[in-house]
Amino acid sequence: MATPTATRSYEDVNVGDALPTLTKDPVTHLQLVRYAGASGDFNPLHTDPKIGEMIGTGGIIAHGMLIMGFVGELLSDYVGPQAIRKFGVRFKGMTHLGDVITCSGTITEKYEADGEARIAGTVQAADQNGDIKVTGTFVATLPRRHV
Amino acid sequence: MFDTSKIGQSFAPFTYEVQRNKINELTAAIGDKNPVYHSREAAQAEGFTDVPISPTTPTMFSFWGNRQRGASMADLGINVARILHGEEEYEYLAPIYPGDTLTGTTTLIDGKTRQGSGGHSMDILTMETRYVNQHNQAVLNTRTTVVVRE
Repeated sequence: MATPTATRSYEDVNVGDALPTLTKDPVTHLQLVRYAGASGDFNPLHTDPKIGEMIGTGGIIAHGMLIMGFVGELLSDYVGPQAIRKFGVRFKGMTHLGDVITCSGTITEKYEADGEARIAGTVQAADQNGDIKVTGTFVATLPRRHV
Repeated sequence: MFDTSKIGQSFAPFTYEVQRNKINELTAAIGDKNPVYHSREAAQAEGFTDVPISPTTPTMFSFWGNRQRGASMADLGINVARILHGEEEYEYLAPIYPGDTLTGTTTLIDGKTRQGSGGHSMDILTMETRYVNQHNQAVLNTRTTVVVRE
């Protein structure tokens, strides 16, 4: 797979490097309505405040996939959209309206596989209080520097 | 409690046609302003054939493409109203572009029932979907783990 927008090369990064953090705007009700329509996940606990009160989530909660989308933005900004080979997350906590999510990541491995120079790493998303929303891992390819 | 004899069962394949406007819409909702997701011209200027998919675009393939998603889960004995999303994983095998027609086949690959602390049991189920494009090329594998509280 080509990686047209890669802005850094394999040689530029090291195990232990942190990815530049990404802090998102506060999560809004309108954003969850837009995300429901875009993604096709119309579970009302993400859009209808009455359901949230009924099931005891303390109001509506964000789609977990929206938070994974924030982390995806972090990764795609770092390696480019088509350079990600694997991306997985575990959902750890609910995100409420007004929460400010910060995504971060660390490179844990550099190696070659399938003829590509690859990095692997860990990622997470947490709110303004440091409460973890998702944790995950990724594998991506970076181009080698031409000498 | 789900029916453990269903582990290994696959469901009827579904198709999804990848659309540029839906990639725009999803990344706009996320607030990802990377121009390559919002304009074909911007994407081509960066060397892409067309607007590339964003990392979590595959969620649309399942929710919009798999019209039997709810029915498939109900068939496994899952109470769809009590599902929590536990894990999501993507393995990107080849580029996916607007105009591609993907065919997804979902299989229940793992499942177990656990006793929770309050005496309630919960089911933990993992479904894998393998996608091929219109050239029958494998392009994407996804794994979704859901927790169903009884």
